[in-house]
Amino acid sequence: MILPEFYDFCSRAKIVSGQNALEKIPALLAELDAGRPLIITDPGVENAGLVDVVKQAIARGLESAPVYSDVPVDSDYHVVDKIAGVYRENQCDAIIAVGGGSVIDTAKGVNIVVSLGGKTLLDYQGAGAVRNKLNPLVILPTTAGTGSEMTLVAVIADPERREKMLFVSYFLLPDLAVLDARLTRTLPDFITAATAMDALSHACEAWYCMEKNPLSDTLAFQAIDLISQNLLYVIQNPEDTQARLALANASTLAGAAFSNSMVGMVHNLGHSTGAVCHVPHGNCMAALLPYGLEYNLHRRDEIIGQLLLPLAGPETYAATPRHQRAEKTIALIRQLNQDLHDAIGGRHPRFLSEIRDRDGRRLVEKNMLPKIAEKALSDGARVPNPEELLAEDAQMVLEHAWQGTPLDRTKIKTG
Amino acid sequence: MNRFTPFSTAPADLGHYPEIRPKTSYFRKAYIAVMLLVVGRGLEAAARVDPTVRRIFEQMPDGFCLCVGVGPAGPWMMAKKDKKGRLRYLGWHPRAAKAHLRLTIKNLASAMRLFTFQESTAQAFNYDRFMVEGSLPQALAFMRALDRVEVYLLPKIIARRAVKRYPGNSELPGWKKHFNRIRIYLRAFFPDLIRVIYKNI
Repeated sequence: MILPEFYDFCSRAKIVSGQNALEKIPALLAELDAGRPLIITDPGVENAGLVDVVKQAIARGLESAPVYSDVPVDSDYHVVDKIAGVYRENQCDAIIAVGGGSVIDTAKGVNIVVSLGGKTLLDYQGAGAVRNKLNPLVILPTTAGTGSEMTLVAVIADPERREKMLFVSYFLLPDLAVLDARLTRTLPDFITAATAMDALSHACEAWYCMEKNPLSDTLAFQAIDLISQNLLYVIQNPEDTQARLALANASTLAGAAFSNSMVGMVHNLGHSTGAVCHVPHGNCMAALLPYGLEYNLHRRDEIIGQLLLPLAGPETYAATPRHQRAEKTIALIRQLNQDLHDAIGGRHPRFLSEIRDRDGRRLVEKNMLPKIAEKALSDGARVPNPEELLAEDAQMVLEHAWQGTPLDRTKIKTG
Repeated sequence: MNRFTPFSTAPADLGHYPEIRPKTSYFRKAYIAVMLLVVGRGLEAAARVDPTVRRIFEQMPDGFCLCVGVGPAGPWMMAKKDKKGRLRYLGWHPRAAKAHLRLTIKNLASAMRLFTFQESTAQAFNYDRFMVEGSLPQALAFMRALDRVEVYLLPKIIARRAVKRYPGNSELPGWKKHFNRIRIYLRAFFPDLIRVIYKNI
């Protein structure tokens, strides 16, 4: 265990996990002095019938809960302001967010406006603008991957300025996150795989990047353990609610880990690829994770080697010589991508060049790689990465990740 | 009667409770002030000599104003992109003009760790030693420029501690490193330094 000279850690959301956890929401809201929540969700979640599941579960304890179900994929501050109006019209006193990253970030934005009394979210831009306790916020994640229920960040677009506004405050942490397998049971297999690989990348980067600390290590270790034991099983047995719940827990654990120890180059390159090519985040993470481990191997050999224990179990860990553990960890993650690819009939991309849209068009073209590499310089996730990652380094990694070939170790600059 | 009477209503003798003020370490303040002057002048010179640093400041908006210092009471360093697009070191007074990017090291002790190279810039950032007011991409770009300047200004044995990766020969050939180092030192400290100090006093 490495005890850093300095670290800070804060994770104060109450987590409720279980097969019938949704039914607990009315009582838990009452503890927070709230009884009329606004449910915020998106059309996909509503069409999947998940809002009905939630309403049915909370019906006994709550009179009514109005629903706003038109959150778009890339939510912006106009949507936030509109939902704030709906909240006030209905005299709500809490928010229940049902969905993935976009819905959760939108709900956090709405909570800022309705709690602090402003007209628009734009009034609260900038670091440190949110300094007061907000209204009760309950998050029900419907994907097992983003970990947004444990983060203190909300990213909301400003379409006029064509930029994404970042809101960071400990007050953005929800009061309550409820994990119930009914919410992820209908998730298609390729999204289950991509989001779980996102959670795995959160946990791995929290484990080996520069801000690692004993508390985030503990959470990351357990998250990796749960993912390695349950991911392939869930793909083969999608109706197994206990395994689904295990993945949801892994995502939350990984979310708590990375929101305190930050992430590195896998997310750095993933954010930039997403921004340039509009690629689903989980697919980028799956393709880039082995390369992040490989690139940092010379600085973090011992630490990456320790990941073999939660990934492969104690027998394999004990049977593998110490100097081979890091290499074996990377090989196992590549194998996991391959197994998911085979289990889902090729819909899980192993490399960047395999990521395609619904019509089968390739989303990341090779000529986009220099632009992605340049954009990566402006992303905050490059700072906690153990090895320096400049534009030419990023491009080298991206070329290998695009082709699906292991990194040429002689090209990694070690200083 | 008990000697210890915690609920006594007698008025406290405030003369026995003087306000404790933290001691100001003039030596540490002076050291940081000199280091900020060296960094500021080094940045100005490197922005003319080194293509990487030049490109970083070329991408900043016109009139870009940078303020780096130690909270709450300084010392500070200010630099600005002039009308010709060149970075100019303005001195150690935080001017009224609003800086586009203000990087404040939270206290003198953290600044000492950074400027005595016990911590690299990236590590200090990870340890939350900085407060950033302004654009994060611009702050990251400034950090890259600062790393580059430290490579030029410091001997290798110290610079290795200050930056995440000391550039090897494939990144920055040795002859070029030494040649640029001489040019940056000459530009930063000989023709102009007296003028800058005179202007700021």
